Amino acid sequence: MTVLSSRNVVKRFTEGKQTVEVLKGVSLEARRGEIVALEGPSGSGKTTFLSILGCILTPTEGRVVVDGHEVDASRPGELPAIRRRSIGFVFQQFNLFPALTALENVEYSLNVRGRKGPAARKEAERVLDAVGLADRTSFLPRDLSGGQKQRVAIARALAGAPPLLLADEPTANLDSVAGRQVLETFRDLAKREDRALVIVTHDPQVRTIADRVAVIRDGLLAA
Amino acid sequence: MVSLARRNLLHDRLRFAITIAGVAFAVTLVFVQVGLFLGLLENASVTIEHTGADLWVTSRNTPNVDFAHTFPETLVQRVRSVPGVARADNLLVWFMQISLPTGTQEGTLVYALEDFAAWDLPWSVKEGRLEDLPRGDYLFLDDSATRRFGPFAAGEYREVNERRLKIIGRTVAARSFTTTPISFVDYGLAQELGSQTLRGKTTYVLVKLAPGADLEAVRAEIRRRLPYNDVFTKAEWAKRSRSYWVANTGIGLNMYLTVFLGVLVGVVVVALTLYTSTMEHLKEFGTVKAIGGSNRDIYRILAEQSVIAAVLGFAAGALFALAAAPGMAKAGLQLIITPGFGAAVLVGTVLLCLAASLVSFRKVAALDPALVFRG
Repeated sequence: MTVLSSRNVVKRFTEGKQTVEVLKGVSLEARRGEIVALEGPSGSGKTTFLSILGCILTPTEGRVVVDGHEVDASRPGELPAIRRRSIGFVFQQFNLFPALTALENVEYSLNVRGRKGPAARKEAERVLDAVGLADRTSFLPRDLSGGQKQRVAIARALAGAPPLLLADEPTANLDSVAGRQVLETFRDLAKREDRALVIVTHDPQVRTIADRVAVIRDGLLAA
Repeated sequence: MVSLARRNLLHDRLRFAITIAGVAFAVTLVFVQVGLFLGLLENASVTIEHTGADLWVTSRNTPNVDFAHTFPETLVQRVRSVPGVARADNLLVWFMQISLPTGTQEGTLVYALEDFAAWDLPWSVKEGRLEDLPRGDYLFLDDSATRRFGPFAAGEYREVNERRLKIIGRTVAARSFTTTPISFVDYGLAQELGSQTLRGKTTYVLVKLAPGADLEAVRAEIRRRLPYNDVFTKAEWAKRSRSYWVANTGIGLNMYLTVFLGVLVGVVVVALTLYTSTMEHLKEFGTVKAIGGSNRDIYRILAEQSVIAAVLGFAAGALFALAAAPGMAKAGLQLIITPGFGAAVLVGTVLLCLAASLVSFRKVAALDPALVFRG
């Protein structure tokens, strides 16, 4: 089942009198349980494309459908609701809340998604257990290793069962061992929990877990 | 539910302490300034509030109860004949000189009635019997006189306007705005002490209405019969006496200015600390947005932080002010903090802190969640 569909996505940015076309018609699909690696050199438009797929930016042209909901660029106010309902993010810098414990980081994202009380706490415990951090729930981010922080971030993305996970350079700040562990965690969870996963990366290790590799170059998908 | 607002506040305790200190400073300043102001104003009308008169007849344009002007005492007869008047008596309020045992002279504000008990004046007698006042050259002196006149006791003598009077009682809480100590003497004695000036004169006529009498109708009739006097209700007269000091001295402006500056400092401190905190947590707010949080979720975080700062700052400020009250009382300054005033300050503090958080909110509302992808 297709969770993510983008067709001929174009994105232009205007800076002063200059207009830069970052994406020139990119199409991509992802199905439940599928892992797509999105590669490309710096400045190729990968992160811009990920932002559009994640409903953080809207395309200048083209069509994006997430979990059956078409993104309407003329109604940006609806984007947070799509993000809440259907998308989990994993960031290069982890972006955990430093004042919250691992469990609270996950639980807070569930609160934002509208799930509160004991049900949210139970779900947070479940996903932390799923990423192998059941014994680190009360730790603050500063007391976790880089790999553990990223696994908390993965747990946060998984919480609430969004069908689409988007990861931006998830192994860039990790050593190779921690990076491999994180990727294995990704692979296991994407398959076991039947989520579509798009990973933007420079890391060649990602190819080892990807079902498909897409390469962006100069704003276009290369073969 | 996880409170990111609370956890962030506690995560940065120094900044949190500075925020609370800023609010507490402003709240203390407001409580002390307004409390002292209310205390002073209460002194300006405390005798009016406690006197059991429904109407006060004054000389025309008398500005406040302390600065009385005389008029013929026989006018009281005209008031007594007005339908609806149950009782009307002359009251003399007059500044006189009192000689102290040291030989120095001080001023005292003399209140004189023929029957004090009939008007509940003075309302708090600490020592002595009021009914003894007409039986000789006697006076009651308020306890607050100790500060100006030095210690005194019943049985001692003081010269008032060069006549030797015996202190036969003490009262409590009878004060004037001018801080001139109040004494109580018999009406006839006061006229004698005032010699030519007060002979055949009074400064006020106190009026008590008969049950069921129409206050406005009685007042209109008194005004008709005494065209060269003013007639005030108790509330009007109290307000006029207080307003005089606010309008004709700098204390009103001073109070408003200090309160404004205190509030300004508090708001600026809260706005700045919240703003710097927000700037440091911009990426976190971006993350909240990226995971689906709306601007409303963000404002809820900022609002919760500002309300917590407001409530804790208010509590600290109120405690400081209450702790300062006994010390001020020893210095003769009355600090009035009523529950209503406290509630108003709390509401004002919360509203102003919420307003201060809007500065940060404007920044975050315009935040591009795409910043979470930037390294």
